Amino acid sequence: MSGRRGVLPGFGLAMGFTLWYLGLLLLIPVGALVLKAATVDPEKFAATITSSRTLAAFRLSFGAALVAACINGVFGLLLAWVLERYDFPLKRLVDGLVDLPFALPTAVAGIALTTLYAGNGWVGRHLAVLGIEVAYTPLGVVAALTFVGLPFVVRTVQPVLRDLPAAIEEASASLGAGRLQTFFRLIFPELLPAAVTGFTLAFARGLGEYGSVIFISGNMPMKTEITPLLIMIKLEEYDYAGATAIALVFLAISFAILLVINALSLRSAHPVRRG
Amino acid sequence: MSIVLEHLSKVFGGHGVVSNVSLEIADGELFVLLGPSGSGKSTVLRMIAGLLDSDEGRVLLNGRDVTGLPPQKRGVGFVFQHYALFRHMSVAENIEFPLAIRKVKPAERRRRRDELLDVVGLVGFEARMPNQLSGGQQQRVALARALAHRPEVLLLDEPFGALDAKIRAELRRSLRRIQGELGVTTIFVTHDQEEAFELADRTGVMNFGRLLEVGPPMELYLRPQTEFVATFLGRANLMVGECASDSVRLGSVRFPLDNQITSTGGERRVQVLFRPEDVAVRDSPNVLAVPLLGKAVVEEAGSVGSLEKLRLRLPPLPGVRPISPPVPFGVDSILVDATRSQDQARRYPMEPGDEVWVGVRRIHALLHPGLSFLLVAGGGAGREAAVDLGGEIARLAHARVTVLGLGSKGSGVAERLDRVRERMGSGLAALEIRHSSAGLADAVERETGRQPFDLVIAGRPPEGAVEAAEGALGRGEHHLLVVPEGSSIPKSVLICVAVGEPGKEDVHFAGRLVRHVGARATILTVLPERSADPARAQGERFLAAAARSLSVLGVQGETRIRKGRVLDQILAEFREGKHDMLVLGVPLVASGARASLDGHAAEVLKEVRDRPVLLVRSRGSE
Repeated sequence: MSGRRGVLPGFGLAMGFTLWYLGLLLLIPVGALVLKAATVDPEKFAATITSSRTLAAFRLSFGAALVAACINGVFGLLLAWVLERYDFPLKRLVDGLVDLPFALPTAVAGIALTTLYAGNGWVGRHLAVLGIEVAYTPLGVVAALTFVGLPFVVRTVQPVLRDLPAAIEEASASLGAGRLQTFFRLIFPELLPAAVTGFTLAFARGLGEYGSVIFISGNMPMKTEITPLLIMIKLEEYDYAGATAIALVFLAISFAILLVINALSLRSAHPVRRG
Repeated sequence: MSIVLEHLSKVFGGHGVVSNVSLEIADGELFVLLGPSGSGKSTVLRMIAGLLDSDEGRVLLNGRDVTGLPPQKRGVGFVFQHYALFRHMSVAENIEFPLAIRKVKPAERRRRRDELLDVVGLVGFEARMPNQLSGGQQQRVALARALAHRPEVLLLDEPFGALDAKIRAELRRSLRRIQGELGVTTIFVTHDQEEAFELADRTGVMNFGRLLEVGPPMELYLRPQTEFVATFLGRANLMVGECASDSVRLGSVRFPLDNQITSTGGERRVQVLFRPEDVAVRDSPNVLAVPLLGKAVVEEAGSVGSLEKLRLRLPPLPGVRPISPPVPFGVDSILVDATRSQDQARRYPMEPGDEVWVGVRRIHALLHPGLSFLLVAGGGAGREAAVDLGGEIARLAHARVTVLGLGSKGSGVAERLDRVRERMGSGLAALEIRHSSAGLADAVERETGRQPFDLVIAGRPPEGAVEAAEGALGRGEHHLLVVPEGSSIPKSVLICVAVGEPGKEDVHFAGRLVRHVGARATILTVLPERSADPARAQGERFLAAAARSLSVLGVQGETRIRKGRVLDQILAEFREGKHDMLVLGVPLVASGARASLDGHAAEVLKEVRDRPVLLVRSRGSE
């Protein structure tokens, strides 16, 4: 790109600052974690990671985050559609409410959800009649993660939906496509990259979520104990090596998953095929 | 007839964007719908495709009424200005889309796709994605896609608007060839008159939601009927002269006409058109074998490619009012545009300041004389309404407007007029702002003495409306529209006529105005309570004739006969019919005398306080 002057001064300076900034905020803490893990005795490391309690926590964290992100993927798309395509009273209020999970302290959200979904809560009481328990079960974890992940898909899909040319739908109709055909063949593929991005963000947020989950999950080892909490417990037990080991593996798996999803969504966002 | 439109109308937010458009397009025809932006041409196209519902009227495609059908069932191909290609699909998938929707077998799909790629000249581009194509290539893909399902009609909405001149010319040629080969009936919407000339079998010109004229483009260029079409299709010298049966007088010269003009309603003035290439320019009057307009001074001279463009200034000619090219403020000379071939320009060079003789080879009279309005602003309460409604009507009627501001210096009239100029500046044929510190009657008399107007529009004062109306009518030839505060564009007009000659004048002028604002009309005549049958039959015949002349003007009219006291019956019909404008004839007075309103006109004006009242004066009476 030589010869083209950008808004920011020189590539070298911009790149240098980016690296320095990323390093300060991200790489140094993660590096410290890796260094700390390197000092851990390999046998102890392996034992911690393969212990059934750790594996159960991994399963719950990844599983619940995945389910919550999927729920948010479907309903976030629907919410974005309704907010963009229809006019209704209090639309702006509803639109603002979507951001609430961002603003609310997660502990408040956790306590509120627990109160609602506990066996004697407003919602939990009726669910209990149906034999469904939410609070203090993995379902509760999913509920909390769904709550905190709500804004991601909505907010990533909304601008794409807004910028989608109306002519696309008109062209489709004039070419003979019905509403469903237009949606599934044209609109959905256009929204997919944004929806995947939103899904990824919600998933990542779900992996790291702590505050809201610990209230509703009940924190029973092997059943409703999430990985961040397990790390916290190890620290409280002064088992720094164990905490480091779990954190490093958790980080590595998360990073690998995000990398794969990003690579996939990058390919669908820039569909360049040659024949 | 492949495409038939019947009285198509569309209203957005109380504003008619398409008014009463009727059109028939033959099989295999390439029809260009031409108009400036905002003229409603795209709206018409979208109503044909079903992308927009019409408020009134019908759309027939190959004899099938499709008015209520969704776009999927209309069998049209539509090409959008910004291509509207599906970004995540390859060229091949885009073109096959309408076939895939119809569950056509893959092999047949591929065959049709290859055929279309060949037609639009994009063989080998199957696998490209839209973002890998240039604008022109994308529009070729969009065209192929719109044709894939073999639509009955092809609709193109400014398809080349976003492309550069060279690509446009290339695509125009391609489209003409493809359309000819496939024989698909096509409507092409554009604001570019060059595209109309190059593409169209026939073209229709739209402005302010109305289809003004339809015909082959050169026919409209040479023989337009309306001022708008004359000035929109290329450069025009347009002026008002006086008409005789087969000739027109500009100043002291008589020009033979290429068309017969039927003088309607006693019009003595006529708009004439000659194109720049119809103007002959030489340094001596003897070498010009055409009627001479006079001796002019060259204002500007410059070459554009194969032509030399001249702008010439003629001294004022008695009885001639120039319209186009527009004359700058405060100048009373007449400007004429001329073009010469480069060969002529080399042989008889001319420079700014040279004195030359100007002749006209060919002159054309417009069928519809343009309207000119005088809007009275200021001068008391209730007068601003005239500027608001009058300006709106003038815009719709494409009338030339003079705004007359009343009030002594320092009363804020100058600032008010500046605001008026800003508000009305766009969309008018011409706008002139004048100021007078005289009273209403004197100021109007002075203005109408300076140049004749068709219509004076004045606000209704809270008190003394009749006296004010008499003053504004004065001695001139104009009609008068009295506008109360808060009036809006009328939708339903009641025309009250007496049976006989003056009634015809009422219907004719009111009809022209009603046509421009796109309203419905009801013609009413009131007979005495105990009138004999012959009188009633005569009344009915007259109303039928009046309704016919309205329909010639393109106005839908109903007729009513009532019996009883004239004033009571007029007011009763006005209220019951929920009309929002009233038209009345002004009693005849001797020529040159001031108008005086007595009898019905004065009574009606006193009674109808909240709706505009149009007072039509009979002309040509002794």
